[in-house]
Amino acid sequence: MPISDTIPFSGIRWDDVLFLVLAAILIGSALMVVTLRDIIRCGLALTSSFAALAGVYVLLGNPLVAATQVLVYIGAVSVLILFAIMLTQTKNAPTRLAFQTQAWAAAIAAVVIAVVIAATVTATTWPSGGQRLWTSTSDIATLLFGSYVLPFEAVSVLLTAAVVGGVFLAHREAGDREEDQL
Amino acid sequence: MSGSLDSYLVLSGLLFAIGSFGFLARRNAISMLMSIELMVNAVNLSVVAFGAFVPKLQTYAAVIALIVIAVAAAEATVGLALVIAIYRNRRTPLVDEYDAMSQ
Amino acid sequence: MALVPLILLFPLLGFAATGIFGRSYPREAHRFAMAAVIASWLVASVVAVGALSHGFGFGDHGAGITLWRWIPAIGFTADVGLYVDSLTACLLLVVTTIGMLVHVYSLGYMAHDPGRWRFFSYLNLFMFSMLLLVLADNFLLVFAGWELVGLCSYLLIGFWFPRRSAAVAAKKAFLVNRVGDMGFALAIMAIWTQLGTLNMQEVFAKFGAVPHEWQIAIAALLFCGAVGKSAQFPLHVWLPDAMEGPTPVSALIHAATMVNAGVYLVARANPIFGAASEVMVVVAAIGIFTAILAASIAFTQTDIKRVLAYSTLSQLGYMFAALGVGAWTAAIFHLMTHGFFKGLLFLDSGSVIHAVGDEQDMRKMGGLARKIPITYATMLIGAIAISGLPPLAGFFSKDEILGGAFKNGFLWVWGIGFLVAGMTAFYMFRLIGMTFWGESRVDPEKELHIHESPPSMTRPLILLAIPAAALGLAIGFPPETGLLHQWLSPVFESTIAAGGHAEAAYNFFGIDGALAIATTALVAVAIVVAWRLFGVEIPALRLRAEARPEQVASLSQARALAPLYRGSAAKWWFDDLNDLLFVRVGGRLANAAWWFDRTVVDGTVNGIGTVTVGTGDRLRRIQTGHVQNYALGIAFGLIAVAIGYLLIVR
Repeated sequence: MPISDTIPFSGIRWDDVLFLVLAAILIGSALMVVTLRDIIRCGLALTSSFAALAGVYVLLGNPLVAATQVLVYIGAVSVLILFAIMLTQTKNAPTRLAFQTQAWAAAIAAVVIAVVIAATVTATTWPSGGQRLWTSTSDIATLLFGSYVLPFEAVSVLLTAAVVGGVFLAHREAGDREEDQL
Repeated sequence: MSGSLDSYLVLSGLLFAIGSFGFLARRNAISMLMSIELMVNAVNLSVVAFGAFVPKLQTYAAVIALIVIAVAAAEATVGLALVIAIYRNRRTPLVDEYDAMSQ
Repeated sequence: MALVPLILLFPLLGFAATGIFGRSYPREAHRFAMAAVIASWLVASVVAVGALSHGFGFGDHGAGITLWRWIPAIGFTADVGLYVDSLTACLLLVVTTIGMLVHVYSLGYMAHDPGRWRFFSYLNLFMFSMLLLVLADNFLLVFAGWELVGLCSYLLIGFWFPRRSAAVAAKKAFLVNRVGDMGFALAIMAIWTQLGTLNMQEVFAKFGAVPHEWQIAIAALLFCGAVGKSAQFPLHVWLPDAMEGPTPVSALIHAATMVNAGVYLVARANPIFGAASEVMVVVAAIGIFTAILAASIAFTQTDIKRVLAYSTLSQLGYMFAALGVGAWTAAIFHLMTHGFFKGLLFLDSGSVIHAVGDEQDMRKMGGLARKIPITYATMLIGAIAISGLPPLAGFFSKDEILGGAFKNGFLWVWGIGFLVAGMTAFYMFRLIGMTFWGESRVDPEKELHIHESPPSMTRPLILLAIPAAALGLAIGFPPETGLLHQWLSPVFESTIAAGGHAEAAYNFFGIDGALAIATTALVAVAIVVAWRLFGVEIPALRLRAEARPEQVASLSQARALAPLYRGSAAKWWFDDLNDLLFVRVGGRLANAAWWFDRTVVDGTVNGIGTVTVGTGDRLRRIQTGHVQNYALGIAFGLIAVAIGYLLIVR
């Protein structure tokens, strides 16, 4: 039997609850990313924020993007970040400040940005239909491999270049090994 | 709440603000890159939200979102490779010690 | 007429040649200068004879020749042109003759000086400048010559420049001259704006059309220039100090030529002065005041050259007084005779100084009459001439001046001039007495070396003594109808007619004779007083008296006379006044201005630089090198733009 739209015994809709929960996880993880002292914990929080974001995508009726988010971000980018963290750890991390001296100014700037965006957004009337629409994957595929196949191919070239570049940059020279340096 | 475009956009804006705070305030280079990822994701979220609510933009928004994800991944790769390379040279991941260009 | 430019060309070439070759041939280079000045003298004599006889194409009013167009600007043109008439001829004779004799004298006087070639080149430049001044036909060229003469006087007064007093005196001469020159320059500008031309003959022809206030202004400004150059009060302070130069320089510049430039200017511009009779009174007043001022100072001077310097000032005062009362020809007559006897006296003094081993203080001389006879004889002639005893030259010229003053109604000028004649005689014979007569007060070491000067020095003395004695008779007698009056009447007649002071016929048995006898009597009394105080020793006339220094001393301390004595000795405190006004007070003003310039003006300019540098320094700190700081800047900028857009556009 189909699940009712709202939670029984209260008029709250499931969608709203889901949205609030996912939003809370998202914002909470994001805050942890930017404030925690131990950088590995920041990386893990980042992963959780990606996961929450994928959930929000589903809520917005776009499972393809959600799947891609999980695959790419959680599967590749997070791993990459964690590897990089491990490769750049210093012996005395994290002892002193995690924040710059300009952190307070940055906080003020961030707050102002948030306020401005929120105010602007709520004040604008968007040409929205008022309903979440479900995007079909075949439509996306038709568009992506049809009229937008050139950007698609370009992106693949970009990825190749990024990979090559990344390998080149991170490659250790023969005399660069840790054992040879002191 | 979940049915209105405004809430998603506000969420996206909030996420963007948090990301920018992290970018401006953290000392570790990798933290800065993570914050950049947050900001990109925030933008992506707003794009997908527009796609969900504005009928004309449905499929286009999805295409944009996919390509943005791909490009952001590439950018993260290169950025982290750079950080690793600089770390090898300077022995520190903290950006306020990368001051060779200042007087 | 075509010979006239040669008069100028020879000294100019002489100056150049001596200057160029002097360094390589210091002992021979002066021969160029000698040759140049002798050649110039010959040509000038020929030209002068032509002009004075009104023949050879000169005519009554002289002739002009334009050499080339000097300033061909639109709206302002000036030519280099020369003009010769009788007045020019008189000046030419005086300048070139005395100039040539001074050159000959300098051969001997400067024989031991290593800078002799420099001296002769400057002397030639000076001759050129003075001749340019005299021959010029427009005011601008006169001014050029005027300034050049000032420059030469600076160079020559400061010839022994390693000596500080000489350098200072040269500067003083130049600066004081400059004050007068400013007046002259303003006069030239005024003439230009009023008349549109600077050519002198054209100016004189059109001068009646100028408004009377301008006439007075132009005349007054021209006189300013003359006051500076001819050292009248109050710009007389440079002349005594100018004695720092070598004696031939003193003779040439300050007795015979340069200081006469002022007199020449006023005489040449007589139509201008005739139209502005108020200025003529001022001229007479300043002239006669200078005369008595200088004569009073000469009473107490102990340096032989200073006495002569003050005497020059006094006689120049006479000349200006003559010009001021309208006795134009008398002024020129006195200019000529004065040139000769003052030049003679100066060269004589140089000979005396040379004889006693470069001692100039008269208190250390005495009894030289027997030891340097030629010098003594010529100096005595000069002294008699300047005192105005007949029949020597000074008597005629001075008498004409005093007669002119009296007859033209300027009784006060006559009265003061009368007194000054007596004073002149007194101080000249004081000089003779202290130098040549009585006991010898010479320094014993120098006494052994007293010797007469070499012939190169004594011959000019003798040659000068002749006109000093005879010139008066030659051109000034009979008075008012003599040769000089015939020569110069075309130059001055229009002014005299306009002024209404027609010179009455000379009447010896009337007022003129009375005046002449009165003057001579006063002069004689003055001479006798001088003899009683300072001694006399003329064996030929069996005159002999002892000097009475104690009487002199007691006179100078007498209650009534002591302040006068002190004032006279202090040159009436004019130098101190100038020092206070211009050096001290002016110095403070200059210091204040300098402070202002340094602190405010330079401070502002430097301040701008400092501020810029400081600002740049502080702004530099924005460039921290940290990317996050830049990013924060970007974030704030973004916020500002967004808020601005929202507030202003929405």
